[in-house]
Amino acid sequence: MFGFLAQRLFQAIIVVFAMSIIVFVGVYAIGNPIDVLIDPGATAEIRDNLIRQYGLDQPLWRQYLTFLGNVAQGDLGKSMVYNISVVDLVFSRLPATLELVLVSVVIATVIGIPAGLYAGYRPNGIAAKAIMALSVLGFSVPTFWIGMLLIMLFAVNLGWLPSGGRGEVGTIFGIPTSLATANGWSHVIMPAINLSLFKMGLLIRLSRAGMVEAMNTDYVKFARAQGLPDGQIVFRHILRNISIPIVTVFGLELGSTLAFAVVTESVFTWPGVGKLIIDSILQLDRPVMVSYLIMVVILFVQINLSVDIVYARLDPRVRLKGGK
Amino acid sequence: MTRTLLKSAVAAVALLVAMPATAQDLTIGLRAGPDSIDPHWSTLGSQAEALRHVYDTVVDVDETLQLKPGLALSWDAVDDTTWEFKLREGVTFHDGTPFTAEDVKFSIERIPEVTGPMSMTLYTKFVDSVEVVDDYTLRVKTKGKAPSLPNDFTRLFVVPSETGMEARNEEFNSGEKAIGTGPYKFVSWQPKGDMVLERFDDYWGDKPAWETVTRKEIPDDAARVAALKSGQVDLINYVPATDYLSMKNDSDLETFVADSIYILNIAPNVKDEEPQPITLNGEPVDGNPLQDLRVRKALDLAINRDVLVNIVLEGLGTPANQLMPEGFFGYSDALGVRPYDIEQAKALLAEAGYPDGFEIDFTCTNNRVPGDAVVCEALAQMWSRLGLKVNAQALNGTVFFPAAAREEYTMTMSAWGTLTGEAAYTYGALVHTKDAEKGFGNFNRTGYSNAEFDTVFGEGTQTLDADAREKLYEDASVIAMEDRALIPTVILQSVWASKAGTLDFAPRTDQETRAYEITPE
Repeated sequence: MFGFLAQRLFQAIIVVFAMSIIVFVGVYAIGNPIDVLIDPGATAEIRDNLIRQYGLDQPLWRQYLTFLGNVAQGDLGKSMVYNISVVDLVFSRLPATLELVLVSVVIATVIGIPAGLYAGYRPNGIAAKAIMALSVLGFSVPTFWIGMLLIMLFAVNLGWLPSGGRGEVGTIFGIPTSLATANGWSHVIMPAINLSLFKMGLLIRLSRAGMVEAMNTDYVKFARAQGLPDGQIVFRHILRNISIPIVTVFGLELGSTLAFAVVTESVFTWPGVGKLIIDSILQLDRPVMVSYLIMVVILFVQINLSVDIVYARLDPRVRLKGGK
Repeated sequence: MTRTLLKSAVAAVALLVAMPATAQDLTIGLRAGPDSIDPHWSTLGSQAEALRHVYDTVVDVDETLQLKPGLALSWDAVDDTTWEFKLREGVTFHDGTPFTAEDVKFSIERIPEVTGPMSMTLYTKFVDSVEVVDDYTLRVKTKGKAPSLPNDFTRLFVVPSETGMEARNEEFNSGEKAIGTGPYKFVSWQPKGDMVLERFDDYWGDKPAWETVTRKEIPDDAARVAALKSGQVDLINYVPATDYLSMKNDSDLETFVADSIYILNIAPNVKDEEPQPITLNGEPVDGNPLQDLRVRKALDLAINRDVLVNIVLEGLGTPANQLMPEGFFGYSDALGVRPYDIEQAKALLAEAGYPDGFEIDFTCTNNRVPGDAVVCEALAQMWSRLGLKVNAQALNGTVFFPAAAREEYTMTMSAWGTLTGEAAYTYGALVHTKDAEKGFGNFNRTGYSNAEFDTVFGEGTQTLDADAREKLYEDASVIAMEDRALIPTVILQSVWASKAGTLDFAPRTDQETRAYEITPE
């Protein structure tokens, strides 16, 4: 177990290094951030001073070494656009994204897996066909379009829910979150449903496929012959056997939802981290890009780690070992 | 049972959402907001627009960007290198300290210490030293003659001298140092989030109509429109062109339209060797055809500006005949409407030695202003009727601007706004010969150089008398436009929208949405 963790940690560090080099080289290849940011009326003198002030006149390797030196001292730098610490900046937005993703993942799981299991249990029923049709819509219709439709229906025409933004923020266990207030929920529910549709579709299809396959296996036939009730067969025996692919996809999707919730966030004006990152890319705000990506890498590594640990719990044949 | 529960839950949520705001509150949905609450951090337009509510500038501007008194009541050139500003008396900061000339001096001196990559030293570059004569008189010594100093000071926000040189963005963002003399007090702000303001009751000017103002940043066009339609906000700016017609015809909504300062200009590269080769039948042509005035005129004559405005931009534009909108300082009335004449254009092209046209690369921005990409494509089609083969490419600003700065394009189109409302800003940057020493031509990427223009314009920048200077700038406009140094196409318009019959305001050329200039209807 320890060797396994150490190996994962080592991998994470390598990925962070590789990623920071890619960002540095990438930004360098696009051009000078000052040329994107500078006011049209600025004189050449002002421009040259700025380039020097931000160290952009240095060769790339030296800029990178300076950055590494600062990181070693725990300083990820300041945003060039906001002039505040990038850690503060990203963390001021991250909780909003986290709570949105959390709610949407819960919705996707609570609805998606049972619906998929049912569709696999009675694959020829009308309900199963309807569920499958919906799941196709879920991952083939673009998120932003469904988002706009939801807004048109529930916010503009019916006036039941707000069209966007984050509601009142309360605290649960000392964590500021809009999930603590009714107003907060009224704001989070629509974007969360919107964000959950793709994952829900995916989970429905995965659990249905697993279910259909498992229903024909010998152990299910034996269980039936033994006279076990269907509920027990499905939840105790089948679900456990088909959950490995579900957990894998769930983990992957959780990471990508966190990193790429930007479409839903911008349609619903959700003050999450996505828009901040897109803007920092457009403005070549290198410190923000690098540190956000570092955080995303760490997040992915953690999620993968959790998935591996869950595997071991689900399937006694899987052991966590270091090396090959 | 569950159904009733669901119904009452929905009703409860609906109640929470529909809580009516009082008539004293104004919520605005804006495309962009500030990057900081420090008024000396950045020259960004959306930054100035937001911070104007909290801080006053020394000189203010009216709806068409012409100067009007701000914290200074009047300004005069005492001698060739000294401007004297008479300041308003009886003005107090939000914390109660009285406003004096010391605060202006401090603000000018603070800028180079704290400003960021969008450097505000742009506005103090002519300042040599600042002298406080008495509490309400300030003298600014300039480096050489600086007739445009009052224009530069339209973005000079004043903070109290007690702020201290150490205060940085964090102290301003938290509200600790966010103290100005403006009509609104700062309450709270988060990057890319809402900015909340509260009326300042001791404001020196007219009392604003709204007690609290919330400026919501909603960058997504469709989301901003939805927020207005669902009643989450009272007013939105930058209504997208695609929604404009339907919103104009919607009786529940009211739209406000005004010319903006932004004009889409074509910049033909006139260097001896063009960066991307101009070819004919795959072979590079001799020399650079764009150096020939007849070719540039032909390009100009082939543009049907009425089509650009009425069809391509769906009515949201005005044909442009120079680099500034009418009413700006230096706008020339002598320049007429640009005609569309494809026959004459073809004749000129043939006369210049290109009866069969040529193949040329044409690069534009695609996300900087509404309509830049569609105008780009339309221009390429108009020129193909002239017999040219135009490879139009609309690029993201992140790619376009650095490459344009490296002068890698043969012909470009991008938007330029005369932010200061006077010609020196635009001509000094775009048209004057590139001259690092004089600080001119920083954005002259075409290699254009016209001695006559430089002389007339240069004389203007050294003339303190406003009328004489205006005449020289107008002459410079004629020279640059007759020579097709740049080819202006259309003035873009901007649109605001509100619920019908709720509020009233005069839309501004500079596209700013100032809460204190909006009144309930």
